[in-house]
Amino acid sequence: MSAITQIPQLLVYGIVSGSILALGGIGVSLTYSILGFSNFAHGDIMALGAYIGLGLLGLFTAVGLADTPLGPLSFGPGFILAMVLAAGLTAAAMIIIDRLLFRKLRHAGPIILMMASIGLALGLRNVIQFFWGPQPHYYIARIQVAVPIPGIDARIKSDEVFIIVLAIVLVAGVHAFLRYTKMGKAMRAMADNAALARVTGINTDRVIAWTWVIGGGLAAVAGILAGVENKFITPQLGWQMLLSIFAGVILGGIGNPYGAIIGCVIIGISEEVSTAFISTGYKPAVAFVIMILMLLVRPTGILGRKA
Amino acid sequence: MSLLKVDGVTSGYGDMEVLHTVSLEVGPQEIVTIIGPNGAGKSTLMKTIFGLLAPSVGTIRFNEQNITGLSPDRIVRLGMAYVPQVENIFPSLTVQENLEMGAFIRTDDFSDRIDEIYSLFPVLRRRRTQRVGKMSGGERQMVAMGRALMLDPTLILLDEPSAALAPKLAMEIFERITAINETGVAILIVEQNAKESLRLSTRGYVLAAGSNRFTDTGRSLLENEEIGRLYLGG
Amino acid sequence: MEHFAGILNYIVFFAITAGTYGILSLGLNIQWGYTGLFNIGVAGFYALGAYTSALLVGPAPSAWEERTFGGFGLPFIVGLIGAALVCGIVAIIIGIPTLRLRADYLAIATIGIAESIRLVLSNESWLTNGVWGLQQIPSPLYKTIHGGADAFINAHPGLPQWLHDLIVSAYDWFYLALVLVVLFVLYLIVERLGRAPWGRVVRAIREDEDATAMLGKNTFAFKLQTLVIGAMIMGIGGSIYAHYARFISPASFKPFYGTFLIWVMLILGGSGNNRGAILGSFVVWGIWAGTEFLTRYFPVSATQAASLRIVLIALLLEVVLLWRPQGILPPCTKKLE
Repeated sequence: MSAITQIPQLLVYGIVSGSILALGGIGVSLTYSILGFSNFAHGDIMALGAYIGLGLLGLFTAVGLADTPLGPLSFGPGFILAMVLAAGLTAAAMIIIDRLLFRKLRHAGPIILMMASIGLALGLRNVIQFFWGPQPHYYIARIQVAVPIPGIDARIKSDEVFIIVLAIVLVAGVHAFLRYTKMGKAMRAMADNAALARVTGINTDRVIAWTWVIGGGLAAVAGILAGVENKFITPQLGWQMLLSIFAGVILGGIGNPYGAIIGCVIIGISEEVSTAFISTGYKPAVAFVIMILMLLVRPTGILGRKA
Repeated sequence: MSLLKVDGVTSGYGDMEVLHTVSLEVGPQEIVTIIGPNGAGKSTLMKTIFGLLAPSVGTIRFNEQNITGLSPDRIVRLGMAYVPQVENIFPSLTVQENLEMGAFIRTDDFSDRIDEIYSLFPVLRRRRTQRVGKMSGGERQMVAMGRALMLDPTLILLDEPSAALAPKLAMEIFERITAINETGVAILIVEQNAKESLRLSTRGYVLAAGSNRFTDTGRSLLENEEIGRLYLGG
Repeated sequence: MEHFAGILNYIVFFAITAGTYGILSLGLNIQWGYTGLFNIGVAGFYALGAYTSALLVGPAPSAWEERTFGGFGLPFIVGLIGAALVCGIVAIIIGIPTLRLRADYLAIATIGIAESIRLVLSNESWLTNGVWGLQQIPSPLYKTIHGGADAFINAHPGLPQWLHDLIVSAYDWFYLALVLVVLFVLYLIVERLGRAPWGRVVRAIREDEDATAMLGKNTFAFKLQTLVIGAMIMGIGGSIYAHYARFISPASFKPFYGTFLIWVMLILGGSGNNRGAILGSFVVWGIWAGTEFLTRYFPVSATQAASLRIVLIALLLEVVLLWRPQGILPPCTKKLE
């Protein structure tokens, strides 16, 4: 098969993986703009969510909770419940971690927070590895057949349609939250000017907690969806996606959640399409190269403001 | 009885002492202007009153309550609002959203209050859905003052409200300040070019090198030749 | 007495590794401790130095290798210098697009370059022998010293066991001396740079870059110089590592060993203080090696023990950041003015 005929199929893969990256990217972007630092633990928070989901899924299967597949999907209501609970638990974990670690370092500035997040990343990854081991764990064992997409020369699985639709729904939800709710507006206000937010009487501690709830919850969903797409997860899951997410966030304009979504989808597509032209071994470097080119041409990103 | 009473306050940044035993008072519904040359400590005084800096010596009382050392978010709940000189708006939020943020701690329906503020600043009503970052300096200043008014404060601190504005716009801001004052709000203004500000002030203070120099009614300060020569540009 | 020789030999081995980390910490100290550059891709420069030196000094490809290039059999010192130069050049390339931007970008770019270097090492088999790595990397003067020790043992058959054990590891003693000499020379250089007017400028950049720029200093040039010098020192560290380990592969330069440990060493020892950087290397490597002994008594598997130890090091970093951010030896601020 020549490189060109592969492209429609690779585009489909790219949109799927870009949707997953975008859910991670929103959290990175919000943490950056509201808490003021690049959170290197975000990938491992995704992995944490995926493993919490895996644990819950195992628990539900053990107690015989309905796991008949929903329509054409390869998973049942037990999976949906596990995903929702994992998102909640991951969000709760992030609030606790913020209290214990980041909150106490906020006065020390962004670089120290970044460094603490690197320590957290390694800590989380190895806590996961301690309990689940380094080997891959299957997320969903059922085999699913990809069906042709009418009009283009590509196939898609119903699970992948689910991933894309869920990502769109969640992005729309985040948009509505930021645009129309009091807390969402306060988050944008704090991202604009944290000092003024405090002077105005905005409860910045609550804004920060909500930032972790949204970032952590979406990260867990992204990790679980990555498990669905890849069929299995390893403790390295988050670390492997982190560089792509950062590249997407910078590409879109760091600190702008809408830019992060666009940037992550572009990165997802570029990574997949690149495999038609270069060795798949270099797929993880594609995001990095795009990021460096963007930094050279337009450091503020697609939607970014001047710093 | 005074609304705000600053008594012998010494304050600064870290080890650097900027204010030395400064005292001042603002009565209910007064307009008080602090004038003084660049670096006299005017902004430092504002920040200290509002709890952004903690005084090392002295007390600050507001409504008979000792607020020395309280954090800004506590002080704002007591009915004092602060409009910083720069970065005093949320640029990516709309006018309406900026005002809503000013009312963050209010749990009641504040749509009437927003309406009152639009009546004070009619231009903002027309631009309620515009992002403030794209608006002119004068309009931004109005948004900032409107935001500060959302909690029905009894005292507003304005740090150089007319700085960097064209004279015509500055005049308009001062008109609005008078209008705000007429709704019963006391105002403490810091100004560098303070003639206009003193004209509408009940009283004024002259601050130099971090200490009190003079205090008098606004009019007397304006007419004082020495003050005029030293601090009001002749 | 046998224990004595065994323990002493272990200490030598320990000190060679800790000393090598000391070199890497010094390189990081000049970047982070002096100038405040947040390089979290130390592993990239470390790997680059190791591979460059191994390819310059090592043997030509053998029949069973996937590699078809490299292995020039040059002297060790050429490898050491080559490692430094290649790392310096890569530092220039990475510094130009990122050093004018916020610290976050340098962090992400350096981690990206470290991962990309690992990908190149895994994929470009013609040069690197892929995941199998480079083997039979020669150690300097190995034949002379090890051969000499063997000859001495053969000539003196009646040696007591402990003396025999010590002489057998004579090469390790030599290598330790080599590591310490390199470490000491680099320490003197870095210390001198720190005291020179150059050092005052970069420390000023760390404190307040805008203010330093307003004094008319080209802060970008100073930051680039720092990045390059630090990267060169890391390259030397890589070379020192490769010629002792004699075998390197992409797995040797994973982020934990190649970057994270070094950061913990520098932060624990004291950012901005060169003695602190070296002290931190020995202390953290001591903790890391010590926990290996400890976890043997835990009812956990080997992989679980490894995870537990990494969690412990991560916790150590957070504890230092929270309760003693200046590290054991605080920076020498008295030299600032």
